[in-house]
Amino acid sequence: MKVPSIRRSLLLRCGFGVGGLLCLLSAAIYLLVESSLYGELDDSIKQTAAILSNQVELENDTITYEWQEGLGTNRALVEGALFQFWNDSTGATTRSPALHWRDLPLFHGVGGAPLLRNIRLSDGHHARAVGLRIYPFVLPEEVAAMKARGNPIDPATLPQTLVVARDAEPVHHALERLRWMLIVGSLLTLGLGFLLVERAVRVSLRPIHELATDVQERAGHRLDEPLALPEDLPGELRGLATHFNLLLSRVAAIRQRERDFIRHAAHELRTPIAGLRATTDLALSQERDAVAYAGHLAACQKSALELGELVKRLSALARIGQPASPAALEILDVTVLVRECWKSFAVTARERGLILADECGPDPVFVMVDLALLRIVFNNLFDNAVSYAAAPGIVRVSTRKVGGEVEVAIANPTLEPITDTSRLFEPLFRRESSRHDAGSHLGIGLTLSLDAARAMGGSLRAGQAGDGIELLVALPAAVDPAA
Amino acid sequence: MRLLVIEDHPALREGVCQFLREAGFLVDSESGGEEGLWAAQNGGYDVILLDLMLPGIDGMSILRRLRAQENPVHILVISARDGLEDRLEALDAGADDYLVKPFPLAEALARVRALLRRSYGRKSPVMRTADLEIDPIRRSVARGGRVIEFTPLEYRLLEYLAYRAGEVVSRTDIWEHVFEEGTGGTSNIVDVYVSYLRKKLNAEDAPDLIQTRRGHGYVLEAPVS
Repeated sequence: MKVPSIRRSLLLRCGFGVGGLLCLLSAAIYLLVESSLYGELDDSIKQTAAILSNQVELENDTITYEWQEGLGTNRALVEGALFQFWNDSTGATTRSPALHWRDLPLFHGVGGAPLLRNIRLSDGHHARAVGLRIYPFVLPEEVAAMKARGNPIDPATLPQTLVVARDAEPVHHALERLRWMLIVGSLLTLGLGFLLVERAVRVSLRPIHELATDVQERAGHRLDEPLALPEDLPGELRGLATHFNLLLSRVAAIRQRERDFIRHAAHELRTPIAGLRATTDLALSQERDAVAYAGHLAACQKSALELGELVKRLSALARIGQPASPAALEILDVTVLVRECWKSFAVTARERGLILADECGPDPVFVMVDLALLRIVFNNLFDNAVSYAAAPGIVRVSTRKVGGEVEVAIANPTLEPITDTSRLFEPLFRRESSRHDAGSHLGIGLTLSLDAARAMGGSLRAGQAGDGIELLVALPAAVDPAA
Repeated sequence: MRLLVIEDHPALREGVCQFLREAGFLVDSESGGEEGLWAAQNGGYDVILLDLMLPGIDGMSILRRLRAQENPVHILVISARDGLEDRLEALDAGADDYLVKPFPLAEALARVRALLRRSYGRKSPVMRTADLEIDPIRRSVARGGRVIEFTPLEYRLLEYLAYRAGEVVSRTDIWEHVFEEGTGGTSNIVDVYVSYLRKKLNAEDAPDLIQTRRGHGYVLEAPVS
């Protein structure tokens, strides 16, 4: 299949356009010149015919052609002219001297009106001719004489046909030369124009080729680097290249996120693996008794469980990276989910001396969310609250509507104020564990929750609240589906 | 030799500590950044094994604070961060060595020994004073070709004196670097253990290599002929 080509298309379109214009222009010039030359010739013939039409006289009851005597000052007009008279009544004819014995074609317009026509002379030359019907003129003295003779003749009964011709060969040659000049000129112009257009197209397309080469020759490690846009890049391409760069930046962001995830995952896996290795290295470093081996095996099992939990959470983090599918979004009462999630932590909380202050109120609060993702968010937030809260204390949960969003706030007291709350969302960030029941925390729970909230079109932020910390989950509000 | 391990992961911390203890070192450990910093500032350790990602104060901050205080302790960073930037940052911040997790405990031990040699200005892994040879890797002692057996505590004391051979070591220094906290006994326990060393080293009427500097301490050196 032939691939469409901008260059070919431009060349063809320019070629046809310029060629068409040249044809039209040439034709116009030719017709104008032809019309002008033939007009001039026709005027001359008509003028001659007008003079000659007055040279037929009815005198002494006969037709007299007085053109030889009557030319007078107009002699120059008829000199060299070719003309011929026919007496329509008798068929007699008289010719101009230049015709010698050759006849001109006999013709005239309808009703004897003058008619211009291209003719061929007997010598093969092109000629222009006018044919018309004329009537002899009668002098007043001749009218009186005819009356006196008792034989008045009406000139209208003696119609004459006059054909005047002029050799059009010079005009014909001039027009032929002009025709050739226009054809050759047009072809030359077309050829030269083709070369110029081809050059212009090539130069114009060069930035496209350069960009294409830049993309084509890009090394594997530079795939998502933006294209270098030169200052003189045409505006038509700049838009395309800019949007391409925007696309690349989005690809780069995705790749960076993947790299970050892999780095974080690898990083987070290293420590428990190091623990596992340390335990086995230690166990195998010397002969030990069964109790010692059992202790080391128990440590290995604990590390394996920890690794399993970590992998589970990392998998969830990887899944959450994408925006929530619209199909997964549903309208639900967030207060119900909050209370349901809290139940999983109620026992641990009670053991630590923590109680839940449910300030959500009796009315349902509807949000448009992905239930699975929101469950991850609440479970992580409650897990953190129960693990890190200063005990004994109160974990407060409340909801409020802000604009088109519903904010769920989970607050708990802390032993020390957390000055830099933004660090809480850093992957692998762990708060002080020695004073809390948070030894099993891996440092990705809040990162996971933040990603999950964002995937649902919401957000998650932390702030100080009194002597503790407050985590605010903002979710898209929804109307009561039953309403 | 007294070491400090600052690591928040329980299994790794316990594994490293026990391995180093079994290798003959006195090892303390901390799991949090703040406690780790306090211990590092006040413990008088020979080498610190420091994790970077710690709860509370992170390892890099601990490193910078110790170096800002001109603390000369040798620090071996153990971290899951394996990027070149991370390693350069830690080394430029004053770390003496960098070990990426997971690592074989034997390698950690070898690096600790290397830092100890560097700490006491030694190049050779075997320490020699006159005809006394101490091999910290094999934990063996020989004098004049005769292998001498020591208890772990005696060996630790001899090794410490050997690392500081030629210089007077005070009883306080010996106590801090050789004896575990809570070691029972009388106040002159250092003198008692030095006498044990002398007995084993000076058998067969060999000249005494451990000299007493009254009021100052002890020095391991070749006898003046």
